Amino acid sequence: MASERQIATNRRNARKSTGPRSGAGRKRASRNAYRHGLTLNITSTAASAKQLDKLVRKIAGDSDDAITLERAREIAQADLDLARVRRAKVALIERAFALGELDPPQAFNTVNQIIRFFNAIDRGRVISFSAPVDSSATMPSQEPGRSAEAIRRVLPELLKLDRYERRAAARRDRAAFDLAGRIKSERNL
Amino acid sequence: MPRTNELTLLPKLPLLVTESAAEFDALRDAFEQEIKPRGIIEQMYVHDVSSIVWEILRLRRCKVVIINSAFRSALQDLLKQLLRQPGQSGYEVEDEAQALAQAWFTDQEAKKQVSELLSQFELDESAIEAEAIRRSSSDLELLDRMLTSLESRRNKALGCVAEYRASLGRQLRESADRIIDGKDVLRLEDAASNRSTAA
Repeated sequence: MASERQIATNRRNARKSTGPRSGAGRKRASRNAYRHGLTLNITSTAASAKQLDKLVRKIAGDSDDAITLERAREIAQADLDLARVRRAKVALIERAFALGELDPPQAFNTVNQIIRFFNAIDRGRVISFSAPVDSSATMPSQEPGRSAEAIRRVLPELLKLDRYERRAAARRDRAAFDLAGRIKSERNL
Repeated sequence: MPRTNELTLLPKLPLLVTESAAEFDALRDAFEQEIKPRGIIEQMYVHDVSSIVWEILRLRRCKVVIINSAFRSALQDLLKQLLRQPGQSGYEVEDEAQALAQAWFTDQEAKKQVSELLSQFELDESAIEAEAIRRSSSDLELLDRMLTSLESRRNKALGCVAEYRASLGRQLRESADRIIDGKDVLRLEDAASNRSTAA
């Protein structure tokens, strides 16, 4: 447990830390929480913004009502988000299909292996490691085995993406029913 | 079937290189014929249902292949258990089990031999399948979670089409009735006449 003196020193040092100062450092730190970009707004690329606008116009029809347009935008955006997650799923499977796995083979699989390696060097011993297994070599060469194996290898990632897909679908459903209600109130006016 | 203008606005479903775009189109056409979507939102839901069903089929295929590919090692392990005599270790019968498991897929004689061996213990070929499923259970569990999620989303999307259509239909009917009956106009006139009477 840290002593009072250590705690005070830590606090003093922490106050000195103001995070990254350079532009590049700040830019890098701004992407600290970035994991896969699936929650990124779909309009962040010009091409998708254009596609989004077309879809919004089609959903809203000839209405110029701001709320109707907003609901239409929510529906379109959620639908394009769904498409993006589906693209990501297929891209992951295709990658595993081609390369055998998502991450390149590592020389060390665990922290213990790294520690053992450096301990051995400290003791002047040479430790030999077996060459990392080439994952693509263990992939079945023919269909449907190869596709199935590719899917099997990325299953945990597919499950994570499924959560984003469900959220996007729920957003679209809510907005669609809101829009149906909006059409009602517009007709009543 | 040529795609309608509305459908070209919707994002295309990405397919694996081993999948057929024509087969996906046929599946979507079947859903379109069944649901007969009206308007872009219903079209969107039909596209969603087709995409989900396509993915369900993909995962179901994968599930079968995973079980099938575990068959050989499952049979080999089972044979090691069955061939072992009292006092013998599994290692001593490993080569025999491996050869028999290998031959089981191509040689009818080997298949018969395995069946006889299984029946000595009152087992049949379903024991091999059970062992294959047991060996792939962790993958099958993940696949089942994915499939359950997809199936529930498919049902929800189908429910949404019906609910959206009913909700929109009801609302449009109510609006049309109101316009035909002129109820809103009358209410406004009544309120205005009440105010003038009171004054």
